[in-house]
Amino acid sequence: MLSGLRKKGALLALLFAFALVAAACGDDDGTTTTAGGGDTPATTAAPQASICEVTDVGGVDDKGFNASAWAGAQRAAADFGAEAEVLESQAETDYEVNLNSFIDAGCDLIVTVGFLLGDATLAAAQSAPDTPFTIVDFAYGDETPPNLKGLVFNTDEAAFLAGYLAAGMTQTGKVGTFGGINIPPVTIFMDGFARGVAHYNSENGASIEVLGWDPDTQEGSFTNNFESLDDGRAFAQSLVDEGADIVMPVAGPVGLGSASLASELGTFSIIGVDVDGYDADPNNSGVYLTSVLKRIDNAVYAAADEAINGTFTSDLYVGSLENQGVGIAPFHDFNSQVPQELKDQLAALEAAIIDGSVSVGG
Amino acid sequence: MTTTTEHREVRTPAEVRRAKILAVVYLVLALIALVVFALGTEGSATFGLSRANDTIALPDLTISASGLGFIVTAVLAFLGAQQWMRGFGSKTNLVLALGMVLFLFAFLAWAAAGASFSLVGIFQEAIKRAVPITFGAISGVLCERTGIINIGIEGMLLAGAFTGAVAGSTLGAWPGMILAALVGGLLALLLAVLTVRYRVDQIIAGVVINIFVLGLTSFYTSQILVDNPQLNNAPIMRAWEIPLLSDIPFAGPVLFAQNVFVYAMYLLVAISAFALFRTKWGLRTRAVGEKPRAADTVGINVFRMKYLNVLIGGFVAGFGGAYFTIGSVGRFDENMTAGRGFIGLAAMIFGRWHPVGALSAALVFGFADSLQVKLGILDTPIPSEFLAMAPYLVTIVVVAGLVGRSRPPSDYAAYVKE
Repeated sequence: MLSGLRKKGALLALLFAFALVAAACGDDDGTTTTAGGGDTPATTAAPQASICEVTDVGGVDDKGFNASAWAGAQRAAADFGAEAEVLESQAETDYEVNLNSFIDAGCDLIVTVGFLLGDATLAAAQSAPDTPFTIVDFAYGDETPPNLKGLVFNTDEAAFLAGYLAAGMTQTGKVGTFGGINIPPVTIFMDGFARGVAHYNSENGASIEVLGWDPDTQEGSFTNNFESLDDGRAFAQSLVDEGADIVMPVAGPVGLGSASLASELGTFSIIGVDVDGYDADPNNSGVYLTSVLKRIDNAVYAAADEAINGTFTSDLYVGSLENQGVGIAPFHDFNSQVPQELKDQLAALEAAIIDGSVSVGG
Repeated sequence: MTTTTEHREVRTPAEVRRAKILAVVYLVLALIALVVFALGTEGSATFGLSRANDTIALPDLTISASGLGFIVTAVLAFLGAQQWMRGFGSKTNLVLALGMVLFLFAFLAWAAAGASFSLVGIFQEAIKRAVPITFGAISGVLCERTGIINIGIEGMLLAGAFTGAVAGSTLGAWPGMILAALVGGLLALLLAVLTVRYRVDQIIAGVVINIFVLGLTSFYTSQILVDNPQLNNAPIMRAWEIPLLSDIPFAGPVLFAQNVFVYAMYLLVAISAFALFRTKWGLRTRAVGEKPRAADTVGINVFRMKYLNVLIGGFVAGFGGAYFTIGSVGRFDENMTAGRGFIGLAAMIFGRWHPVGALSAALVFGFADSLQVKLGILDTPIPSEFLAMAPYLVTIVVVAGLVGRSRPPSDYAAYVKE
């Protein structure tokens, strides 16, 4: 019995040691990545400014909004001689823990990525009034504390263009979309997309249908997670069964599952979101008709610029077609298939949205 | 197991209560069918029964939504009255299932009134979605029948998915599937050593495996896969149509135009059901689970049986995990199993620790999953969040007593040889 206990202890110790080794690796070159610090030797020089990012559960390598924010943080770090650090949230319970460790580390700007971190970020900003915070996809309105900057995007402007394009390109007369969770930063894509299709219909006397989202009732098709790629495949399959030949998944990495199905079947194409799917998903790049770009990297870069150069304010940053905070990606492989007439219409439509003569709202 | 086949004239108070509750359930469903489905809609629903490229094309099925609503109301009301007065005896669950299917059909017609949707698509998807749940559930059955609770199924699925992606990208699909099964087995071995040899609490050991695998795979994803996309580009098993069988109208494309994971699922259910209840190995397994002391007394090596079965359970879960990558999307992403292993556990309980029951339960969950997808596309007034929780709501209702008591088949205490 005693020897059994000792062996049990040894086994647990072995497991523990294994976990420690993994954790140590993580600290060296992983979860706390340092960028732009290659030229700083390990001396006792004045501490560098640091830009610290807390991701949502998708992880920094989601090829979507977490990755885009991280790219902005890294670019800012390189340009302003700072370091960029990131902590990944594995679950919603990690938000507060990660925020607190960055507050304790004395970061010069804490970037939180995603609407779901809204409450945790507000609480953290109130508890650490001297640390500047910025949050992607959240606007607090009148309750904004002076050390918290919201970064929001008029993604519906870009999605409106994508919807118009999809309506002009569909062969079946049906286009589809689905979302991750029914929250504003997701549904704004779907709103813009559906209204872009409606605009095409009224301009061209067409009757293209949108499956998966109704902007009037604000109800539609949602996976209710941002993780299960198998869901992305199933939702796309279902839309295709109902006749859609262009699908816009607004669900982070879940959309990669849809792209995988598109490349397997070859009967429909995908509109990417957040970042250019053609670059982000090289294994299936041929299925991306275009992508609705949300330049989170530009927004994070702008906030980091303010924080490090002492001009930080809590004024809301709004990315739009006009300031190139949002846009649609090049057509890449589809370039030759998009008629020149449609391209001209899109360019005119973009100008009309910027000067306000076309409204993307409901 | 024996209580259901025993014929008894006198019903226990609990059975009488259950019969009354069931009768009320029928009447409530009938009321919903009347008010919502029969009176609340007009127009017809069109169901697609075949796909464009099927060999034998069936015409679309068009049904008047409110007409069907009235019919279903009448049938359910009749069933409810019958249940209240006399009950259906041993056929209770069968009648309940039929009643549920009718109700569901009326619901679909109501949701699709004035529109159309592909019934083939929804069933085909349901079966695909049931695959990882079934593998998880059968892994659980194999472990629990031998007296080990396997909470680590989720972790084993995730590890299988990861291994499938990496090994599939480097060595090809088949070696990827085999290695995924082996990695699942390795984790199961860890579970067995912890619980059998060192008598660690089974729940804790399983939870440790889940957390360990989630952390490890996320770590390797961010450290290795992100910078080496060629390691995360596994071949995908395409659908393979079984000649002749796949030409059967409706059932053909649903059951026999699937990929190899679905066929493996059919085989696994058949083999494990046969092996557990018709072979010497199965009898010994169940003996070890139910009364380890008695099994030991007659000379069965209790520890060896436990190790063996947990190991096989691990192979099953690991292979099932490869579905997520090799069988579905060809790439791994953090936590991509998204709780399917836990739903597998629920399916195991719902299916009363029997492989066929587990498959049926997994199909219910799979159908609920694919229904949710479809209803999001049709414009129903039901919020998507509600649709997403519907399968779990069904589980609670069902496990809480509709199908009768679910009794674990085993004695889970760690066995100590005297």
